[in-house]
Amino acid sequence: MKSTGNDIVALRSINKQRTGQFRFYSKILSTSEQALYHQPQFAEMPFENYVWLLWSVKESAYKYLKRIIPNLVFSPAKIVIQDIKIPPQLLINEPGVIQWENTGHDEELYTGKVIYSSHIFYFQSKISKDWIATVVNDDKIFDNVCWGVQSIAEEGYYHQSKAVRTFLLKKLNSFFPGDLHVDKTPVGYPVILKGIQNMHIPVSLAHHGHFVAYSFILNPAHKKNIRIRHQSALQSQSYFCNSRSG
Amino acid sequence: MDRNAILNELKKVLNPYTENKEMLNGINEKTDLIKDLKINSANLVDIIIDAESQYHIEIDFESAEKMYNVGNLIEVIIDKMKRPK
Repeated sequence: MKSTGNDIVALRSINKQRTGQFRFYSKILSTSEQALYHQPQFAEMPFENYVWLLWSVKESAYKYLKRIIPNLVFSPAKIVIQDIKIPPQLLINEPGVIQWENTGHDEELYTGKVIYSSHIFYFQSKISKDWIATVVNDDKIFDNVCWGVQSIAEEGYYHQSKAVRTFLLKKLNSFFPGDLHVDKTPVGYPVILKGIQNMHIPVSLAHHGHFVAYSFILNPAHKKNIRIRHQSALQSQSYFCNSRSG
Repeated sequence: MDRNAILNELKKVLNPYTENKEMLNGINEKTDLIKDLKINSANLVDIIIDAESQYHIEIDFESAEKMYNVGNLIEVIIDKMKRPK
């Protein structure tokens, strides 16, 4: 079963001091993950960013799994991260990013592998000045994965919840015209409906502080239909989220 | 300390992390922290740490994973209070 999972951490909404306390981070990171931080590649990364990067990977993997294992309980310790690679083009002092969507140019992304029981996932993360965003996939190739981040004017659950749906639906509408809306299953994961018809597009939503984020999967059948519809359109070359797969 | 007294004290622990004050006032053992109180999952560890401070207990990794609803949270607190640190 195909799924997706994402997460966003607003860096101004976390408690940096508390994150650095052993009794806090030891509830998120395993001993092996704590040791990973001492690799030379993380020399420039503040410890709180490392903790929340790993949190976002674990939370994303949990959201991916929740669709497959409905009674799963989030247990950060049991989702283990291996092999984190820093971006080949590490952006230093990048100004605040208020909207970002993946384009297939992965040079700016952190990547790695994450394990839960017998499940293996791969992740891509972007760390900006104000946020850390992650998406996980069951394949190393992320060609079918669309994900994005946007800043919002107001915090607060109801505003975030509305804003993230608007952001996602605007993107989805560029592929699937019509009156789409987001519903939630009793288990708690979101589904996309067109009228009463389930579109069977795996989606994941996240919000924290002044930021919202989505991820979704375009399967080969979706892509074929989109390609037919846009056959004559100039933009078909780079029509999918990931330009390499256009 | 009985379950009801802990439940009432938990309202104070959870208060900084939920906007849904009406729901918080009426919590019961089945209340889910994320689904019902709309607490952001990024605050779950904060709640565990605050509960540790409030009750002078240590909540290990394995217990922490059960604490997604109010009833389980009470269960873990009672269990840890029985044991010397």
